[in-house]
Amino acid sequence: MRRTHLLLPVIAVLLVAGFCVTVLVGFEFRGTIEHATAGWIEVAERTGAINVVTAIYLNARLFDTILEVLVFAVAVLGVHFYLTTRGRPERVESIPESNVIRIAADVLLPLILLVAIYVVVHGHLSPGGGFSGGVIAGTGLLLTAIAVGTETVAARFGPRLIERLEWAALLGILVLGLVPVLVGRTPLSDLLPPGEPGRIASGGSLLLYNGLIGLKVLIGSWVIVRHFVEHRGEI
Amino acid sequence: MGPLNGVTIAIVLFGIGLLGLILRRDLVVKLLALGLVNSAVILCLVALGARPDGAPPILAPPSVDAIVDPLPHAIVLSAIVINFAILALALVFVMLLVERYHTTDANRIDRASNDEEDEWS
Amino acid sequence: MELILLPLTRFLFGGLSIATGKASRLFAVLALAVDGILLGRLAAALAADAPVELVLGGWSRGFGIAFTGDRIGLTFAALVWGLGVAVLLYTWKDTLRPYFFMLLHLLIGTSYALTMTGDLFNAYVILELLTLASFLLVGYERRPAQIWASLRYLILCSLGMSLFLLGIAVVYYHTGRLDLVGVAAHVASDPAAPWIRLAAALLTTGVAVKAGVFLFSLWLPAAHARAVPAVSALLSGVVIKMGVIELFRLSAIFPLEVTFTVLGFATGFLGIVYAIQTRDAKRLLAFSTLAQIGYLLIGFGAGSEAARLGALDYAVAHGLFKALLFLAVGEAARLVGGSDLRTLILHRDKIPRTTRAALIVGVLGIVGMPPFAGFAAKAVLESCLHPTTFHAAVALISVGTVVTFAKLIPLLRGRSSGPIDPARTAAYGWLGGGIVLFIPVSAAMVPQSLLAATWGWGAYVEAAAVILVGLGLHRLVRRRPFRLPDRIFRIEEATLVILAGFFLVFWLVHLGWRASCG
Repeated sequence: MRRTHLLLPVIAVLLVAGFCVTVLVGFEFRGTIEHATAGWIEVAERTGAINVVTAIYLNARLFDTILEVLVFAVAVLGVHFYLTTRGRPERVESIPESNVIRIAADVLLPLILLVAIYVVVHGHLSPGGGFSGGVIAGTGLLLTAIAVGTETVAARFGPRLIERLEWAALLGILVLGLVPVLVGRTPLSDLLPPGEPGRIASGGSLLLYNGLIGLKVLIGSWVIVRHFVEHRGEI
Repeated sequence: MGPLNGVTIAIVLFGIGLLGLILRRDLVVKLLALGLVNSAVILCLVALGARPDGAPPILAPPSVDAIVDPLPHAIVLSAIVINFAILALALVFVMLLVERYHTTDANRIDRASNDEEDEWS
Repeated sequence: MELILLPLTRFLFGGLSIATGKASRLFAVLALAVDGILLGRLAAALAADAPVELVLGGWSRGFGIAFTGDRIGLTFAALVWGLGVAVLLYTWKDTLRPYFFMLLHLLIGTSYALTMTGDLFNAYVILELLTLASFLLVGYERRPAQIWASLRYLILCSLGMSLFLLGIAVVYYHTGRLDLVGVAAHVASDPAAPWIRLAAALLTTGVAVKAGVFLFSLWLPAAHARAVPAVSALLSGVVIKMGVIELFRLSAIFPLEVTFTVLGFATGFLGIVYAIQTRDAKRLLAFSTLAQIGYLLIGFGAGSEAARLGALDYAVAHGLFKALLFLAVGEAARLVGGSDLRTLILHRDKIPRTTRAALIVGVLGIVGMPPFAGFAAKAVLESCLHPTTFHAAVALISVGTVVTFAKLIPLLRGRSSGPIDPARTAAYGWLGGGIVLFIPVSAAMVPQSLLAATWGWGAYVEAAAVILVGLGLHRLVRRRPFRLPDRIFRIEEATLVILAGFFLVFWLVHLGWRASCG
């Protein structure tokens, strides 16, 4: 009996070790390979953004980003569907609060939101963008929820408003991608002018996309976090 | 030498995650291991574009020529969001299963759900 | 331009569907109508026989995402559209939330995108979104068994996609390109490099988890069997085919013939063996899907362009009749109160006449009765398989399929007095029509010269022989039931099997390279 118990781990360790060795050997390292970096720099210059990564994922490979926003939307949808159709547990203990947290949250929330807006708006100028900014803002809301309870924060917004805003952001992104068709260009191409690199008003429609994505991620992460807190189950 | 270190660590982490996925029975630990596997691939991607004296991929004046490869960063952005979505939904499902079967042990859940469906009888 | 409009408009309709919360059916119908128009325009553009190329956003290849519309992609997009219509008809009277329709729109939209994408990382993101949408659809009714099946699906597919992403990392490190055309050029210029074999093994293993290859897709029987019938039909008909298409695109870049041949043999035989011994109707269909993927892989492995087209033709045919079977069996199981074969046969008088007719058409299609879809596609496939071992293997798998589906024959006898649902009947009619009229329909993808094989008398003799031998064997097998290991479907063993499968694929790719170069 002992021996069959060990069989699975031994096979697993052997296979996994073999896998790691195979991948490392087959990779054929040759140091850094200089590839298309010059080409990407040119992409960024044509877009008018300083942040090359943003120029890539919001312009050259915009379709990937749209799919990724949809992935996020599906996650929010799924969490919402499964947790709200379960029926609420009878007692939802609130997280014990202390004065320190409440006062700190009071002071920190506006700062966090300001940082989030900064990150989103400067997405094409420095590292950041819609996703990071949205998550920062969502975390700020979570902090406030820890301090005063999720119910209070949720009551602030009104449930309908949040949902409508979220889907409006998603539809906005899709419509923004389709608008070039009306003007006769291919979908997902950039309509607005590049502008002067280094200023906020540059980079074509990158700012718009970042803003919409930031809004969507903010609301989405708040919804997920709120459902996880309110609908935590018991074994 | 730059990418080699990063990729080696990434593959070792991948292996550790795989072992965790296979050997641990608790569903939550399996999900953590899956998260580790996904993060290891992300690390591998970012490490591949690295250069020894690389600068961040921002076109600010002094370091334009030595920027690291920006494409893996764009890829990784999508990969991170996808991993987050998978983890969130998987956790919700684990919670639903725990509520029904009162255990996080994958084998027990498997046996219980097979008995319920009366399949292999 | 239609190439990218197809998925984008679908996503738009999905978003509208859930944003407004009502009129979901109306949006679904509108979406199908718009898709139909776009597909028609694409077909017209392709009539000139040259593929339509598009790099999104107007960037150059290698920097933007490349989309390619060719006949193969168009045919699969049409299959997706057809199954979308069928599912909409089937569920016309059910109460479904807008959430269900949004997931449906996402599934269909991402499938359109995958048939046309020519970029590796785009394929990764699309496959992940497809996994999430279908995983949520499997767990839609929130029954614990479904939740467990879909959780396993998610974990294994996520692991597979991690392997795929690792493969993308290897490819990008060595070529600097993510588009299929660019990568193919680099591979062709230096076929002996070891990284090519590693990348091929990683990418193929990753996609094989989704494509229904037996060793890798051990999540499949549970997920397909436990889902709602409409969802099972889509899973077997659409989602698996998306994995198959991606394998097809990979086979154009890397030397994967030997790999596909061996995997095809294994999948075909193992699927049939498991299908024969199962006692649940839906599991039978799920295992049969695995076996049929074996056909496709053998076709890809045969190497010639004609064999590959034949395999894809069969993939489309399989999508049609497997979807029809799942829909019909699903309704029957719902009316009878269980999907166990004994229960179904016991209460078979509750199954309405239209469902029985649908079952008959589906079974005839899958066993290869002329002149339905299965026969036509199989004839095309077999006429292109020159080594006799391949031909024999396909014939053996066909015999196994007949043995498997002979188990459903008792369902079709006796009186039938169940309620006839017009919506479901319309769905059966739509799919049944596709199966019956398959030969003209598949002429869009398969050139006339190959189709001529379907009219040779050799094909008819073989089909008849297969059916008779199968029926005879069925009598034999019925007396002696046997048990097969079912531990491999647990999640730990499934993961180990995927790992072992990676090594198998790696060794096969190495063999294949040796065979073609050395």
